[in-house]
Amino acid sequence: MSIFTPEHRKLIQMFHPAKHQEYSDVLSSLSSFMDKEILPVSPKLDSGEESIVLPRKALFTQGMGLVPFPSEYGGLGLPFSVYAMAVELLGTADASMALSVEIHNAVAEGVLRFGSESQRARHLGPMISGRKLASFALTEPASGSDAGNMATTAEKRAGEYVINGSKMFITNAGEADLYLVFAKTSKGPSCFLLESPNPGLKFGAELKKLGMRGSKTHEVIFSDCRVPEENLVGEEGKGADYAKEILHGARIVVAALNVGIAQLAYGKALAYARQRRAFGRAIADFQLIREKVADTKIGINAGRLLYLYASKIKESGGDYSSEASQAKVYATEMSLKACDDAIQIHGGYGYTTDDIHRHWRDARLLTIGEGTSEVLRMLISRRELARAA
Amino acid sequence: MKIAVCVKHAVDEAELKIDPAGNPLLAGAAGKMSTFDKNAVEEGLRLKAAHQGAVVVFTVGGAESKKTLKEALAMGADRGVMVVSDPTALDALRTATMLAAAMKKSGPFDVVICSEGASDTYTGEVPPMVGELLGVPYVGYARKIAVEGKTARIERSLEDSVESVEAPVPFATSVVSEINEPRYPTLIQIMQASKKPIEELSGEELAPAGSRTWVEVLSMSSQPTARKHVMIDGSPDEAAAKLLDALSKEGVLK
Repeated sequence: MSIFTPEHRKLIQMFHPAKHQEYSDVLSSLSSFMDKEILPVSPKLDSGEESIVLPRKALFTQGMGLVPFPSEYGGLGLPFSVYAMAVELLGTADASMALSVEIHNAVAEGVLRFGSESQRARHLGPMISGRKLASFALTEPASGSDAGNMATTAEKRAGEYVINGSKMFITNAGEADLYLVFAKTSKGPSCFLLESPNPGLKFGAELKKLGMRGSKTHEVIFSDCRVPEENLVGEEGKGADYAKEILHGARIVVAALNVGIAQLAYGKALAYARQRRAFGRAIADFQLIREKVADTKIGINAGRLLYLYASKIKESGGDYSSEASQAKVYATEMSLKACDDAIQIHGGYGYTTDDIHRHWRDARLLTIGEGTSEVLRMLISRRELARAA
Repeated sequence: MKIAVCVKHAVDEAELKIDPAGNPLLAGAAGKMSTFDKNAVEEGLRLKAAHQGAVVVFTVGGAESKKTLKEALAMGADRGVMVVSDPTALDALRTATMLAAAMKKSGPFDVVICSEGASDTYTGEVPPMVGELLGVPYVGYARKIAVEGKTARIERSLEDSVESVEAPVPFATSVVSEINEPRYPTLIQIMQASKKPIEELSGEELAPAGSRTWVEVLSMSSQPTARKHVMIDGSPDEAAAKLLDALSKEGVLK
């Protein structure tokens, strides 16, 4: 069974009736590549036996980074919903690869939306083709979603900015060629493009994580790290706004990624429930197992529709901040439950088999990363109350 | 070098459902490029890379077959020829007749490449028929093809041996899957494929007047497979001896 299922195809047809064949061809081709080149190495990325570097490079060569970006920079210019579905498929093939690529592409979207023309011309092509890997450096040891409280500073001195401070839990750190760094200037949080290597850019030891082990996560340390003045992205003092905007889009994609994780865990649980026998029959015949199967299937479909809905609003230029957060909260919590149920259905084998419990370990990150469920519920309720006023 | 490659839009065996009576549900089944045809396209592209020229991809079938042509174009073929014909009213000879007629119309070709058999029906009949109808030598089951001037050196993968033969150009061949590793089209190539030309020809007009199918499929059913579930008991030494014995009897160990 391909990662790109007839259900995906049907949804693409519904959401993009005029161009569904073209978009399905793109997703089907990506899926064939992921089926053969990413999915089989996924357990080894989790165990550390293989590195993410080569398969990620191959994935970029296929064109994964090009999907949502305009053709003038070498992209394919496809709708955001098609890109989000591509990340769902990648989430099924390997969650940590999907995380790494999703963050990389979020930075590219930031450069596209808020960067200068010369920044776009210099960085966007190499980024979306995967020749330059990007990393998003916002969270700090003592601040996360409250970006206004960041302690990292950028001081303007004679044609350059000097950055001091540190960022925490940074995906792709140490491997990336380009960092989108948020630091406070005299005008408030601001955003900079920092190219690696740089004598003032250092990394803490790799963080040992519960899941998403294929991707690299480090603390990033800036010690009198000098960046040219022209590397300021957009306007000084507007960095927090840019971060918010970038994260709204990223949340849709994170929702898709989690639907992908849930899909894989569900598939394994379903197959096991059909073949594992107890009391003389397949455990899939027991009502309590069937309840889990039904609930997971409902969750996957609902999560998928939520991220596609938020994507469509984004594509039409509307305010999608609440819908993106709704999709992320729902899909990440659903995915965690789906992976938990997959362990439960596998019983002792679920608890002791890396290839089952790794999905729960992977899913566990994303009710925290890129906006906790708690913060996002605040955001959703605030937005909905404002809409009702 | 002008290279013709034959491809089939076959039933996707991974998605095929079987009804409780064991009959494959072919109506509305998902399709895809026949698995081994990707090797045929790849070999065509490799020959083109080595000798310049063009790769033209041919298929016979209904509207769905265009997807397979587009996939071959995305892999790098230059243009496609679609022979439109009701796929349920085709047998090997009629398919080969239409393919050969289409190639005569678009040709001549130096090399005609098919795969050893379609991944759904796997009769392997069309490739030699195409060679015969074109009046060129046919060399089947190629695992290596090298063309120098007007001579092709081909290694044939036979059941328990490899045969090296020479054939004059032009020739027709069928390739086995070990001949190469088919490339994945990149997304850019997929988008560009929709701009490459596909010529549509009527199968009925290509086939000689009065020609017909010779083979009628009466039924198609799945072959049930069952596991033996042999339980071996006894001490580890006894169990190991019994296991060795059982594996030898099954022919797994010799």
